Amino acid sequence: MNDSPAIETALPAGEERWRRLPPWLRPRTVELRGSGQMWLIETTLLVLVGVLLATATVNDLVREAGINHRLIADLKTWRQYTGHDYHNISVDQEMLGASSQREVLCGNTSPGAPKSRTQICLAIWGPVVNGMRTVHGGWYVRAHVENDLPPNRYGCFGPAGQGRCPE
Amino acid sequence: MSVAIQSERGAAHVRSERWAPALATLLALLLVAAAAEIVLDGAAGISPLIPKSPEIAGWLEGIGERLGYRVFLIALLVSTGAYAGLVVLAGRASIGRASVDRASVAGPHAGAISKRWAIVLIAALQLIVFVGPILLSTDVFSYIAYARMGVEHGLNPYLHGPVAIAGDPVSTYVGHDWERVATAYGPLYTLLSYPLVPLGVVGALWGMKLEALLASAGTLALVWRCARARGFDPVAAILVVGANPLYVIYGLGGAHNDLIMMLAMMAAVSLTVASTPSGRREAGAAAAVVAGALVKATVAVLLPFMIVSRRRLAPILGTLAALALGALIGYAAFGIHGIDVVAALNRDAAFVSTDSFATEIAHLFGKPGVFPIDHDLLKAGLVLILAHLLWRTWRGYDWVAASGWALLAISVTSTWLLAWYILWPLPLAVITRDRRLLAATLAVQALFVAHQLSPLLVPVQ
Repeated sequence: MNDSPAIETALPAGEERWRRLPPWLRPRTVELRGSGQMWLIETTLLVLVGVLLATATVNDLVREAGINHRLIADLKTWRQYTGHDYHNISVDQEMLGASSQREVLCGNTSPGAPKSRTQICLAIWGPVVNGMRTVHGGWYVRAHVENDLPPNRYGCFGPAGQGRCPE
Repeated sequence: MSVAIQSERGAAHVRSERWAPALATLLALLLVAAAAEIVLDGAAGISPLIPKSPEIAGWLEGIGERLGYRVFLIALLVSTGAYAGLVVLAGRASIGRASVDRASVAGPHAGAISKRWAIVLIAALQLIVFVGPILLSTDVFSYIAYARMGVEHGLNPYLHGPVAIAGDPVSTYVGHDWERVATAYGPLYTLLSYPLVPLGVVGALWGMKLEALLASAGTLALVWRCARARGFDPVAAILVVGANPLYVIYGLGGAHNDLIMMLAMMAAVSLTVASTPSGRREAGAAAAVVAGALVKATVAVLLPFMIVSRRRLAPILGTLAALALGALIGYAAFGIHGIDVVAALNRDAAFVSTDSFATEIAHLFGKPGVFPIDHDLLKAGLVLILAHLLWRTWRGYDWVAASGWALLAISVTSTWLLAWYILWPLPLAVITRDRRLLAATLAVQALFVAHQLSPLLVPVQ
């Protein structure tokens, strides 16, 4: 995009109807070569937007890699704690706070389809040490219920389980 | 310039001339191998990257292994790297061809990428993806479901989601998130999909894949025509579009109707590139944009730029005539909901995807995601960009480039960004003199690819 100069040349044929507009407002068929100021402004803005998008992308990539790193540790922790090498384990990243890095992992206590058996849910947080994190408590959820809600829980244990089961 | 420097440069040119064809062949082979790897592994069976589908690529089974994130992302990275190399070579080859045109002496890289070579590579990539399974998206099953709702079940796809035909054979393949969503596509596209219904789900799936392939071929032919008419190297232009990994793997691999929209878009541009302006051609171009918008509404953004650039009655009349005809057909077939594009756009504008730049920027500033105020800010930003582009077009800036920028701005400011959305500006970017558009489009695509890579950094078990 070239900058348009203040001085206008003649309007193209058939476009005399625009003559009553001030020169700077008249349409042009071809851009005039200007000082390049507009090009410079636009390019600078484009570069700034590009830097912002690139920074946001890299930040998100690192963030997602961090989440994956944590989730792998959480899954390993759940399997080690329960002694079950199950694959269908649900992870809730929001129950204990969306950006708290505290997760609740639920899985069956015996072999079967997901949620067809009593589930054990573990509240896990803290740093990853030797590929695992710390279990701070948990609860059981009855079989055949869709959601891990307080009325469906029993046997709460540990500090994280306090107040999460019905009285 | 001294004789020594000249002879040194000459020797470097001769060396690179010798290497360029070999390098181009190597990069092409990498592109083909990566596409084949994805397709063959995708055909092997259940994969998180291959949507549940009727068996259409069973004859390829047993050659590859189940497609996992790691293999897919490595193949995508290889494709992207090879494509970047080819783009550079194609750019140098086009300079070489220009020097042939000017001086009738072969430029240093003119032989690296010939017309036949480029066409063979693009055809190979597209055919590899065509014969394989549907990749990465369940959208094509939604297209078929909407068609079956209308033809088999007498339901209006603009009023109901595919959940309304829960017992239908296609319903099991529709993406979970889209089961309750009525179609957002234009009535022309919905009517185009109706004749595929009697073929059954598998037949319709092949029909959709064929439509996408033909639309892609048509788009590339028009890119060629427009590039030549506008004084660009057509070989480089079709290579940049047709060998693009997102275009091939995501766009064609998912049989997305964006390719049909892009065909209409390029038909419109093609009608306006004639050396002598003609009212009939300009009206036809505007009608082609409207036809594209009746497939997918986004392309309508070209109209104001075309009209402002031409400043003649013909494109306005073409728009109105096509719009009246489209509205009449849409209303007759689907009632008022079939032509209520604004409602569909508003609904889709509220969606949020993890790949959108809006979400990434929200995370950068410590927010969990996009809030309603962010939607308003993004819309305001988009309006400002469009107003600036319209002003520049009024003052003589190329309307094709302005349209490309507008499409790029729509995808970047959208909270619902998918790979095939960042393909929209590409065919326009290769036929415009403002090379910033091509650079920006390819940069946005590169960022999209980079954002997919987190499973490579820490593989999820």
